[in-house]
Amino acid sequence: MIPVVRRNTELGLILLAITITAATYTLASLATTADLPADIGPFLGVVLALLAGAHVATRRLAPAGDGVLLPIAGLLNGLGYVWIARLDEELAALQATWTAVGILAFVVTLAVVRRPRDLERYRYTFMLAGVGLLLLPLLPVVGKTVNGARIWVELGPISFQPGEFAKIILAVFFASYLVDKREVLGMAANRLGPVTLPELRHFGPVVLAWAASLLVMTAQRDLGSSLLFFALFVVMLWVATERASYLVVSGLLFSGGAFVAWRLFDHVQRRIAVWLDPWSDVSDQGFQVVQATFALAWGGVAGTGPGLGNPDRIPLIETDFIFAAIGEELGLLGSVGVLVAYLLMVGAGLRIALRAEVPFNKLLATGLTAILGIQSFIIIGGVTRLVPLTGITLPFVSYGGSSLIANYILLALLIRISDDNAAAEPDALA
Amino acid sequence: MPESLLTILKLCALALLYLFFLRVLRAVWAEVSSTRGVAVAARPAPAPDPARASRRGPGRRQRGSSQLTVVEPPELEGRSFELADELTVGRAAGCQVTLEDNYVSQLHARIFRRDGMLFVEDLGSTNGTYLNTRKVSSPVALNRGDRLKIGSTVLELA
Repeated sequence: MIPVVRRNTELGLILLAITITAATYTLASLATTADLPADIGPFLGVVLALLAGAHVATRRLAPAGDGVLLPIAGLLNGLGYVWIARLDEELAALQATWTAVGILAFVVTLAVVRRPRDLERYRYTFMLAGVGLLLLPLLPVVGKTVNGARIWVELGPISFQPGEFAKIILAVFFASYLVDKREVLGMAANRLGPVTLPELRHFGPVVLAWAASLLVMTAQRDLGSSLLFFALFVVMLWVATERASYLVVSGLLFSGGAFVAWRLFDHVQRRIAVWLDPWSDVSDQGFQVVQATFALAWGGVAGTGPGLGNPDRIPLIETDFIFAAIGEELGLLGSVGVLVAYLLMVGAGLRIALRAEVPFNKLLATGLTAILGIQSFIIIGGVTRLVPLTGITLPFVSYGGSSLIANYILLALLIRISDDNAAAEPDALA
Repeated sequence: MPESLLTILKLCALALLYLFFLRVLRAVWAEVSSTRGVAVAARPAPAPDPARASRRGPGRRQRGSSQLTVVEPPELEGRSFELADELTVGRAAGCQVTLEDNYVSQLHARIFRRDGMLFVEDLGSTNGTYLNTRKVSSPVALNRGDRLKIGSTVLELA
């Protein structure tokens, strides 16, 4: 019963998501050229083919998998594409290609990872791969610095951000490591006032993750990713051990590290200064954030309408700041819609984690969901000036090949785990 | 194209967006409310949590069942293993119950005590774990006299 219901739900939602994407795409064209988009036929065909392909794959490979994740991802991907196409046609063509590769990666992941626990066996291989990927951009020949951050790797004609893949691989490693070690990590050994702390040596991996995130932060000047990695590990540690003391200690460690970084590094200081008062340097450092604020304000409740705003004045609008473009042209209603979409995805992910009976599956689902939630929070919070801005992509929406492909793999893993959950409850299926 | 028409179309698109979210919520709600009853009935016990089980510490020896006795193969018949609060079964030397059987995975299954009951859980073994001929896919409660088939070895709970 469940597989059929879930797949039919998925199909219905996918069709609705395609309708919304096509309607927005048409609207943007009507507003700018007063005509229907010339390529609406091929556009619809491609979107339909891609999402139908992914849907057929879930029907075949994960029939009892969650039915709402794929449509929401498709909707976000589609809306992101509409704005990328409206802002830069060259990037749009590339984004379409990346989407196709991303969906392919989704299908391949579902086909290769038949049981989540298979991943558990290659724990240390994953650890090496993850750390290797994370450090790859620092290598002299292949590493490349773009916009001040050294997070790119260039291999011949292909350049990608290995960090996007490292986050998933490290989530797999963390999950298997913590399933193994959570008993010692959860044991209370020291008492410090009201807080009980586990034995100090078990904090080793936390300190290691903390050091690694600081290394990435300083050497690659990538604040967003270092925050994401650290937060991911702390969340997983907390969920695995059920010890809030880890949250406290990790929070202190991060504050300490952030404070030192603030004292030592210009680029951190600049980010903080811009966050606190972007108006003091409107024409230079604060320009991007101030323009984003104007865009969101100009959008009002329902927005200027797709194609009728001026988001192109914001630097990096297609990647880090795409949320501001949607906010300007669809207003509060549209930007809250994007937030609701992430909220529903995180909800679906946590539901999968709650249902999981195998500890590894439970932790992995938590970790993958945390990546999605934390990453969206970091960038949307940065664009809306809730937290200091740290460049990172908005999952599924931003332009970017590595990011799209990695997020589709993440999605496939979540759906695989939820399919596994349903298989473990044979009575619920009958 | 008149601006008012564009505004109306934009509002329609936004309405569709929220219709999408409503349908997602409805699907989630339907699933949560329909599986809740079944899921509770289907699970003999809440999901096992080794961290919590171990924190409660040892020392809570329960009534009755405390031994696993080998029934098959004949050459090992009669060999028995004491049950602890948690033990692992497999071919690896690190397992509390080591079975020299090619059909047993390195780390095959886990037997643990929770709320005074014994449970068995398959740990992703290649050939599966069977409790009285039923395949173990999620943790299942054990009773005295139950037979566990692990690889080609059969153990009886006494």
